[in-house]
Amino acid sequence: MKWIKVYQKLIVVSFSMVFTGILAGTVNADVAGGQKIFEAKECGACHLTKGPNQDKTIEDKLKRKGPDLWFAGSKFKKEWLVKWLQDPKSIRQMAYNSIEKKNPGDHSKLSDKEASDVTDYLMTLTSIDVVSGTIQAKKDLMGKMVFEKKQGCYGCHLSMRGAKVAGGLTGPSLVDAGKRLQGDWIYAYLKNPQAIIPVKRMPTYAGVLNDSEMKSVAAYVASF
Amino acid sequence: MKKGIILTVIFLILTIWFIHQRETFGASPVENYKWYCAQCHGLNGKGDGPNATKEQPVTPRDHTDTKGMSKLTDADIENVIRDGGNATGKSTMMPPWGKTMTDAEIKDLVKYLRQLCKC
Repeated sequence: MKWIKVYQKLIVVSFSMVFTGILAGTVNADVAGGQKIFEAKECGACHLTKGPNQDKTIEDKLKRKGPDLWFAGSKFKKEWLVKWLQDPKSIRQMAYNSIEKKNPGDHSKLSDKEASDVTDYLMTLTSIDVVSGTIQAKKDLMGKMVFEKKQGCYGCHLSMRGAKVAGGLTGPSLVDAGKRLQGDWIYAYLKNPQAIIPVKRMPTYAGVLNDSEMKSVAAYVASF
Repeated sequence: MKKGIILTVIFLILTIWFIHQRETFGASPVENYKWYCAQCHGLNGKGDGPNATKEQPVTPRDHTDTKGMSKLTDADIENVIRDGGNATGKSTMMPPWGKTMTDAEIKDLVKYLRQLCKC
């Protein structure tokens, strides 16, 4: 009798081990598969995946051809990324690093399966400077005040002004930014831009805005 | 032999000094202008950068406007670059660059603006 029970337990344990193995294998396969697609399509020719970014000068930055992705998992919302990769619509009005040329909107398109695998891979790329769970998206009044009145964020970023899209063209569009971006990433970038994007066209607001204002702006933009 | 060592040491000191100078002085004013200011003020300073869209509440200043620019003192220009429009009674569309560029870079930009406006 005792032996039967031991035998049953052994069967359950080995089944669960096999099942967990299959599950882990599938997950890893997606990440590894995604990385393979990323490499085969030479996405790394434009996007940095090993951070932190070591740029020091404008000259260094001008050599880059596309936005950094080494923190993609801390920056993007997974559901948004998987859709965007299948149907990439320009986020920047101007071509990357340019204020003269319009964005040609010619980012490569991926199939459903490819987009899903590449997303799984990109979501594994994170920055230790982005602390998750700090920012909750909300229509923060102080955030709105800073965004629209204290600083003219829409000077460079498109956003909704009432029912209309308006704003400058050199920054990434913030229309629907909350569907695309994690509030924690926005806050980390405002608080310590050196750790996220060391050379950028946007002014450094750390030391201009206080910590609570930066948190409010991040929460407000994440609510778009 | 001794001469060789002395020359190597001098060379090393000069190299370190050169790198340090580059980091201290940062970018040239033309480089900074084209990278930061031109977004709104345009690459030639005429106030026609890509952010100067019709919908914006104010138009960026034309830095080639000799008459308008000559009304500003160097200190006025330096303050508005460093602290932005909000802190200097101008439009908040002009952001503060004091935490982005060094004081030396901002002072150099003031000199560059004086060249643009010929004033």
